[in-house]
Amino acid sequence: MAFLARRLGFYFAAFMVAITLNFFLPRWMPGDPTTRIFMALRGKMRPDQMEMLKKAYGYDGSLLEQYGQYLWKLLHLDFGISTVNFPEPTSSLLFYAAGWTLFLVGVATFLSFGIGLVMGIYSAWHRGGFFDSVFTPINVMMNAFTPAVVALLLWYAFALEWAVFPLGRAHDINLVPGWNWESAVSISWHAVLPVLSIVLVNFGSWHLGMRNTMINLLNEDFVVLAKAKGLSDRRVRYRYVARNAILPQITSLALSVGFVFGGAFISEVVFNYPGLGKFTLNAIESRDYTFIQAQLTLLTCSVLIANLISDVLNVIFDPRLRTSGGH
Amino acid sequence: MFSESLMEVRNLTVDYVGETSIARAVNGISFDIRKGEAFGLAGESGCGKSTVAFALARLTRLPGLVSGGTVRFEGHDVLQFDKARLKAYRWRETSFVFQSAMNALNPVIPVAEQIMDVVETHQPELGKRGARARAVEMFELVGIPPQRLDDFPHQFSGGMRQRICIAIALALNPKLIIMDEPTTALDVVVQRDIIEQIVELKSRLGFSVLFITHDLGLMIEFCDRIGVMYSGELVEVAAASSILTAPQHPYTRALGNSFPPLTGPRQRLEGIAGSPPDLRALPQGCRFSPRCQHAMAVCAEVAPELRYYPQSEGQAACHLLQ
Repeated sequence: MAFLARRLGFYFAAFMVAITLNFFLPRWMPGDPTTRIFMALRGKMRPDQMEMLKKAYGYDGSLLEQYGQYLWKLLHLDFGISTVNFPEPTSSLLFYAAGWTLFLVGVATFLSFGIGLVMGIYSAWHRGGFFDSVFTPINVMMNAFTPAVVALLLWYAFALEWAVFPLGRAHDINLVPGWNWESAVSISWHAVLPVLSIVLVNFGSWHLGMRNTMINLLNEDFVVLAKAKGLSDRRVRYRYVARNAILPQITSLALSVGFVFGGAFISEVVFNYPGLGKFTLNAIESRDYTFIQAQLTLLTCSVLIANLISDVLNVIFDPRLRTSGGH
Repeated sequence: MFSESLMEVRNLTVDYVGETSIARAVNGISFDIRKGEAFGLAGESGCGKSTVAFALARLTRLPGLVSGGTVRFEGHDVLQFDKARLKAYRWRETSFVFQSAMNALNPVIPVAEQIMDVVETHQPELGKRGARARAVEMFELVGIPPQRLDDFPHQFSGGMRQRICIAIALALNPKLIIMDEPTTALDVVVQRDIIEQIVELKSRLGFSVLFITHDLGLMIEFCDRIGVMYSGELVEVAAASSILTAPQHPYTRALGNSFPPLTGPRQRLEGIAGSPPDLRALPQGCRFSPRCQHAMAVCAEVAPELRYYPQSEGQAACHLLQ
């Protein structure tokens, strides 16, 4: 109980620090949203109108006043009005983009994890074999590729040159997405290249992580004993090696899932995918404080929640961490 | 009383293959393990005791390589077993207790599963329920309350973990249990408990034991016969009762002199001058001759054979006995 309380206390403190940084970071960038609008309108706006605009958005008071207002609004889950998509509230755009990102990056993360895990188990078990000697170096190489290069190459080859897959967007432009077959096909088809661009860069690290952890375990006495007991290869592989090797991977997976809401900047920009990465980039360019704040708050929450889940999963999967289990 | 042999080891040779050199860790050793007996292998660290144990269980892994000799278990050549025969041999006929009880159990699965899986693998006809019943029985046999079956290894003490390893080794009622320093990692009091338990189980169940330790005192108490190894070779095989009182080989005598007696007058411990030879650069003739106080000219030229001499009951390999 004390452990849980201490843990929750830590998460609350981390949350407070994070939302404070979320407020100040965008404001430390040169320029501000109203100046950007003023510039964009090229003299069609008078300076006094700009002052009114500032007032309307609430950017007129001192930084401390604004900070107080920001905290008050956050407490009521009010993310304010976006300057770029005026007069839409920031939250509607945020949740629209978050949905697409959750789909894109979520699918890509779990695919990378799954593929990497299976390959890691296989190549560790048959280390030095054909599969291991071919794919392990290839994956080290893939892992070192810049995501931008992979995304652009995929886009150029399969969307532009051979035109197998669509050039961009999350679904057909005439389609109103809904829970039906037509939408599912269109959305999946549009997601192939963006997902692939993320998976190709990421699964290698899962493969290597699982492989190396497993190889370290293969020389443990309990693995030698399990083999000597005459257990089937399958049983030794999964219950005595992979079962133990997966523990550190679960922690990493939980952290990656937390960062899903960070979006995939490069893939989303290259494939014009309406996710958080793309909109956040827009927001940074136009100094849309409210959107940047909202996005960072969402990211903060998801990372903290993922950490909490990772703590819980570790206790579930690793009996050594259960303190109250003794007799 | 132990006339029939359970295992016959003849000229067993094990090499460790390095990139540029080969180290012969076990050089053509021969001995028998009789039915129901406890046979001990003694010797200092690095003399090849554990390498022999692993080879007998067919657990030698690269860079180790069994390069010669035969191991007959009830007349069948263990070194020639195929995969299916090996599966029956390992654990139904012979089982193993490792040195480090701390690491011999998987820390993240309950101990029950680690006993049950061996029963389920070798006797699938018993089913899960039968395997569980066997696990309960085994826990009772080694004196751990069966309600603790679903606990994890870290919830047990070191001694209890070694008992669990013994329970796993006994699960299929094998004829031979190879124990590679089963008590080395435990404190003296727990050591005694475990040994007494093994003695009791052995007399009840009738299995043979190959017992390996560098603790000569413990070995003499527990074993019926003892083989003393030096630098990959057996230098003496004799009854445990006579190995300290009437040692034939100078190395055995020196080994005996390096243990302090607990009772009797104080005496100066002698120890053995020098250190064991490098397996890649062995001396000619008897391997112990450079450290031997009684070495003769012939010792540096001709390696003595392990054989019976008229004046002793056991076997020894020494020119002094001629």
